[in-house]
Amino acid sequence: MSVWVFYISTLVIYFGVDLLAGIALNLQFGYAGVVNFGFIVFQAAGAYMAAVVVLGPSGGVASFQQYIFGSRLPFPLDLVAAAVAGAVVSLVIGLFSLRRMRRDYQAAVLLIVSLIALQVVSADVPLFNGSNGLTGVTWPLGQIVGVTATGAPVIYAAWTLAIAAIVFAAVYWLSKSPWGRSLRAMRDHEDAASAMGLNITSLRLQVFVIGGAIAGLSGGLLVEYIGAWSPGAWGYAETFVIFTAIFVGGVGNYRGVIVGVLLVPVIFLELPRFLPAVGYPGLIDSLQWVTIGLAWMLCLLFRPRGILPEKRMEVTKPAGVPGPAVVPSEGGA
Amino acid sequence: MAEREEGFGISTASPSTALPVATEVASDGGYTAGPVLVATDVVVSYGGVHAVDRVSISVARGEIVGVIGPNGAGKSSFLGALGGQVKRSGGDISLLGKDISSMLPHQRARLGLARTFQTTSEFAKMTVFENLITSGEGNAGASLKEVVLHPRKTAQRERAMTDRAWEILQRFEMEHTVNLYGRELSGGQRRLVEIMRCLMRDPAVLLLDEPMVGVAPHLTGKLIEDLRAIRRDGLGIVIVEHALEVVRQLCDRVVVMAFGKVIAQGSFEEVVQDASVQAAYLS
Ligand SMILES: Nc1ncnc2c1ncn2[C@@H]1O[C@H](COP(=O)(O)OP(=O)(O)OP(=O)(O)O)[C@@H](O)[C@H]1O
Ligand SMILES: [Mg+2]
Repeated sequence: MSVWVFYISTLVIYFGVDLLAGIALNLQFGYAGVVNFGFIVFQAAGAYMAAVVVLGPSGGVASFQQYIFGSRLPFPLDLVAAAVAGAVVSLVIGLFSLRRMRRDYQAAVLLIVSLIALQVVSADVPLFNGSNGLTGVTWPLGQIVGVTATGAPVIYAAWTLAIAAIVFAAVYWLSKSPWGRSLRAMRDHEDAASAMGLNITSLRLQVFVIGGAIAGLSGGLLVEYIGAWSPGAWGYAETFVIFTAIFVGGVGNYRGVIVGVLLVPVIFLELPRFLPAVGYPGLIDSLQWVTIGLAWMLCLLFRPRGILPEKRMEVTKPAGVPGPAVVPSEGGA
Repeated sequence: MAEREEGFGISTASPSTALPVATEVASDGGYTAGPVLVATDVVVSYGGVHAVDRVSISVARGEIVGVIGPNGAGKSSFLGALGGQVKRSGGDISLLGKDISSMLPHQRARLGLARTFQTTSEFAKMTVFENLITSGEGNAGASLKEVVLHPRKTAQRERAMTDRAWEILQRFEMEHTVNLYGRELSGGQRRLVEIMRCLMRDPAVLLLDEPMVGVAPHLTGKLIEDLRAIRRDGLGIVIVEHALEVVRQLCDRVVVMAFGKVIAQGSFEEVVQDASVQAAYLS
């Protein structure tokens, strides 16, 4: 296997994982207007959960790594556990942060939650082995067919893309349904939406939990490929990479999410690796963050609604519609 | 308290034949006069200042009650207390006989309360069509369970709402705006979208906060006709309006507010002749 096959496959896997994250964040932010600045926490929850249910029982303090929930679950329970972890953590955090509170405050609370979670997980070693993190995570599905994730990266890439495609289709369908429309109504005017009977608190919690489950799933897929997970992998900055992706691609447009995820995390963040090692060590790494900032600014300047803006739903008058009703009620109901 | 309700009931509405509306009501005569909305001693205070001070109102089936008064009188705050958007610090509100005083806005809406806002509340990044059908589907459309488990019923409801939306659009001469986003509409068009959104829902009580602002004169006439037409179904309407001509044509009864209090009420003719109203409002 050439280095190139491995490299390209890895890019594809990252694309699939980031696409899942982008779909979840677009549902929450693009459709429902929930500014989830703690997004990465839910991906991390899925990754940790997938790791500990794959690693087997923890050896305790004596072992080189310690963790809770240690077990060896067969496929597909590993990924189900990851999604459930993302959903449950979302539900708990959502229940106190999404109450009747202004949106900018919600965003601030969620950002703070993500900072706190990072500190707690880093400091509390018995939880998920502290700042050293967990390592040695394998791929349960691969074991069934006798391959490892890094040994057969092409297969893993195809697997990741398949899951991303299924989730994409499901979320796309939901978003176009009356439920998705209600989310947009809530996003555009909360008071008007609730004045027509929409339960804002419940809708917000629903997208929060669904998005959290998808984030957890994406974390599970990621950790089973890279084999390790530690606080270094989920700084709050990662949340902003995904936000940048959907912002550049086009908020509220799932095709835009694909484009944004291709451009921002995959190309912008990967390309600087090819620059010759100039300057002081670490300069290239910092450049990645510069490109994220540049992407935001260029986008604000030239395409404020993103490369592919939210698509307008065009309707034409159907032929069978009766003429003007004298009393505009009861008609057609 | 009993006294108060008696005083505000429909029975006190003047049978003045000078009002075309009054004759219409009399000739329809098909509905009972039970109140659909009763508010008693409603208080709204913003940081200790009473914006609404023990205001009571009772709206009968098919009745249109006008609320007028100078700027800052507390009219919008009162509507907010009725709809649940503004926190009420005292008083009781009942809708169709149910106590809704401590219900959230969406719970009141599900019981049949619909409203528009003084600052238009169109869904800016949704088309006019989407604005309408989202409202028509209401909480059924927002139910994830309904959408996932009953796709056929959902599709049926969507079709029904589509037909209804086209009828209402035609009625309000807004068909050409069907694919425009809320943010692309003119001020008057935004008002119409808000009203059409309410009509999509078959409410029992309709609260309108200055619905005629910016609406073209010939459409104002139409709107008045429409409001009269829908009230025949037994709908109760509370309308806050500065344009006295509209109030005169439309309202069975007028409540005048100033500094958070009701200073007069009765038929339009009665209140415009009231000395305190003249002093506070008409000058
Ligand atoms: N959110 C708020 N916070 C504090 N004070 C408020 C708030 N909303 C309204 N007020 C005050 O309450 C009083 C009544 O306001 P309200 O909007 O109900 O009046 P209104 O009768 O609807 O006036 P207008 O005819 O100008 O619409 C005003 O003095 C206003 O300053
Ligand atoms: Mg007002």
